[in-house]
Amino acid sequence: MLLEVESVWGGYGSKDVVRGVSCGAEAGEILCLVGPNGCGKTTLFRLMLGILPIRQGHIRIDGREVSGLSPKELSGLIAYIPQYHNPVYAYTALDVVVMGRAARFSAFDTPREDDREAAFAAMEKLNVLSLANEKYTALSGGQRQMVLIARAICQSARIFVLDEPAANLDYANQQRLMEALRDLAKKGYCVVMSTHSPEHPASIGNKALLMREGQVAAFGTPAQVITSAHLEAVYGIPIDVVTVQDSRGVKRTICLPVGGGK
Amino acid sequence: MELRVREAAARRRRYFRLVLLALALVLLGSALFSFWVGYYPLTPDQVVKAFLSRFGWEGELPDQAVTIFWKIRLPRILSALFIGASLSVAGATYQGMFRNPLVSPDILGVSSGASLGAALAILRGSPNWLIQVSAFVGGVAAVAFSYLVSRKSVHSQILSLVLTGSMVMALCNAGVTMIKYVSDPNDVLQQITFWLMGSLTKADMDSFRWSVIPMAVGLAVILLLRWRLNLLTLDEEEARTLGINVRGYRILFIAASTLLSAAAVCLGGLIGWVGLMIPHMARALVGVDYSRLIPASAMLGAAYLVLMDDLARSVLSMELPLGVVTSVMGAPFFIYLILKRKER
Repeated sequence: MLLEVESVWGGYGSKDVVRGVSCGAEAGEILCLVGPNGCGKTTLFRLMLGILPIRQGHIRIDGREVSGLSPKELSGLIAYIPQYHNPVYAYTALDVVVMGRAARFSAFDTPREDDREAAFAAMEKLNVLSLANEKYTALSGGQRQMVLIARAICQSARIFVLDEPAANLDYANQQRLMEALRDLAKKGYCVVMSTHSPEHPASIGNKALLMREGQVAAFGTPAQVITSAHLEAVYGIPIDVVTVQDSRGVKRTICLPVGGGK
Repeated sequence: MELRVREAAARRRRYFRLVLLALALVLLGSALFSFWVGYYPLTPDQVVKAFLSRFGWEGELPDQAVTIFWKIRLPRILSALFIGASLSVAGATYQGMFRNPLVSPDILGVSSGASLGAALAILRGSPNWLIQVSAFVGGVAAVAFSYLVSRKSVHSQILSLVLTGSMVMALCNAGVTMIKYVSDPNDVLQQITFWLMGSLTKADMDSFRWSVIPMAVGLAVILLLRWRLNLLTLDEEEARTLGINVRGYRILFIAASTLLSAAAVCLGGLIGWVGLMIPHMARALVGVDYSRLIPASAMLGAAYLVLMDDLARSVLSMELPLGVVTSVMGAPFFIYLILKRKER
C-alpha cells in the first residue's frame, strides 16, 4: 500500500488529538476524510506530512516510516496543498510552481532551465499553462489551487494532501477541482483530502474515513462509510442518505439532514 | 500557445537581466560622480590616475589629488557603498523572512544594541576603535538575546521574534537614555549624540578595513542563498513540506543580516530608512523574486547612499548628518508606500 496509517496517536504537546487512527490508500485512489470540526482531520494531515511528531503507531509511505525521513526526502513522497494561501509578495504563478523544485537543487543555486521546464510541463498537465506569467496574487481561488497542484506535481510527490480544498470555491469551481482531482488519481497519484461535505466521498472518493473526536468512526469504501447510521452517530443529527439517478443516468448519492427543517 | 507562454517568460527574464546590468552602470556612475563632488573635485581620469599611482604608475597629477583620493574620498565612498548595500540587503532579507514589506533591519534590536554599546564605550572614555568594537558587539548581542528569548516562547517563531525584538529595543534605548542622562553635557553627551546621528565624517580607511569583513561575509552568505529566501516568505509548515529546513535557514539569515547591520552602524552610526525603502524600489524594478531582488537591492542601496552622502557634504557649506538626509528622503517615501499599497 502506498499510504499506510497504523493505529496512530499524536497531537500538540502532551495532548493527543488523533487517537489510534488506522487507514490507508493505494496509488490511483482518492481518500476522503469526513468529520465535524475538531475531529482531528488536519492533525492527521500534519502527522502524515511529518510536521507533528507521531507519538505512537506508524505512518508509512511506500513502506518507509515517515518519522524516519528528512523533510527533503518527505517532500519527494508527499505534497501539501494548503487552503488559505495568501502570499505577501506578488510572485508569478511560474515562480510559485518552481518552488516545488526547491529540494532538488543545491541551496546555493537558483532554478535552471530544466526546473522551469518541469514547472511548465506540470502546468500544461493541468491546463493552466496560460497562467504561468500572471501574478499569483491576482488569481482566483480556483486558479491558485490549480497552481499549487502543479507545484505538488513539480515536487514529484506521489501523494497529494489537500485540506478542505473545496471550502473557498464557488459551485462551478468546486466541480472543476473535483474533476481535476479525479484526473490526478487516474494518472496514478494518490489524493488525500478532507471535506465538510459527506457527498464528496460518494462522488469522487474510492475510500472514505469518517472521524469523530480523534478516532475512526468508520473506514472503507464510500458506500460502506457514508450511511445514515454512521453520519447520525458522528454529527448528532438525523441524516438521510439517498441514491438517485441524474439526468444522464448516473447513480448519485445525496445526504439530507432531516427533521430539522420545521 | 505553449510556446508563447514560454517565450514570454524568457523575455521577462531577459528584461530583468538588462535592468540588473543598468543598475550596475548606475552604481559605477554614482561612485565616479562622488569622487568629483566636494571642495576639490576629482575628474574620472584623475580618479584612474590616482588609483594607478599606488601601483607605481607615474603621471602628471598633483600630490594633493592623490592624497585626497586615497585619504578622503576613497574611504568615504567605499564606506557609503558598503553601508548602503548592507542595510538594503539586510532589509530585503528581513522583509522576506518576517513576511512583511514594512519591516526594517532594526527589527531585532541591532541598532539599539549597537547604540548602547557605543554609548557605554564613549562614557568610559574609550578610543575610537574600541567604541566601534563595542557597538558591533552590542548589536550582535542584542539580536542574539532576542533570538534566544524567542525560542522559549509558545507563539510562532516569527511573532516571538518581533515581540522579543521590540522588548530588547526598548531596554537598549532606556540604557542609552540613562547614559546620556548621567553623562557630562559638555563633552560625553555631545560625543554620544554625534556618534548616534549617522554620519560618514569619521569613516577612514582603518575603520573601513575591519568593518568590511563582516559586511562582505554577510553579503556573500545572503547572495549565495538568495533564492531560498523565496521559500521563507511562505507559511512555515508549507515551506517545510517543500523539503527545506525553515528554522535552520532563519538562523543563517538572521546571523548574516546582523553582521551587515551591526557593521554598518559601527562605521556610519544610525542611518535610517535605507533598509526599508530600497528593497521596495528594487521590487518595482526587478520584481519580487529574491534571486534578482538581492543583487538589485545591493546595487541600488549602494548607489543611493553614496549619492545621499554627496548631498550631505555638498548642499550646505557645513556638512549635514547623513542620517538626517536619509530620514528626510525616507519618511515621505514611507507615507507614499502606505497610501499606495492598497492598490495592488
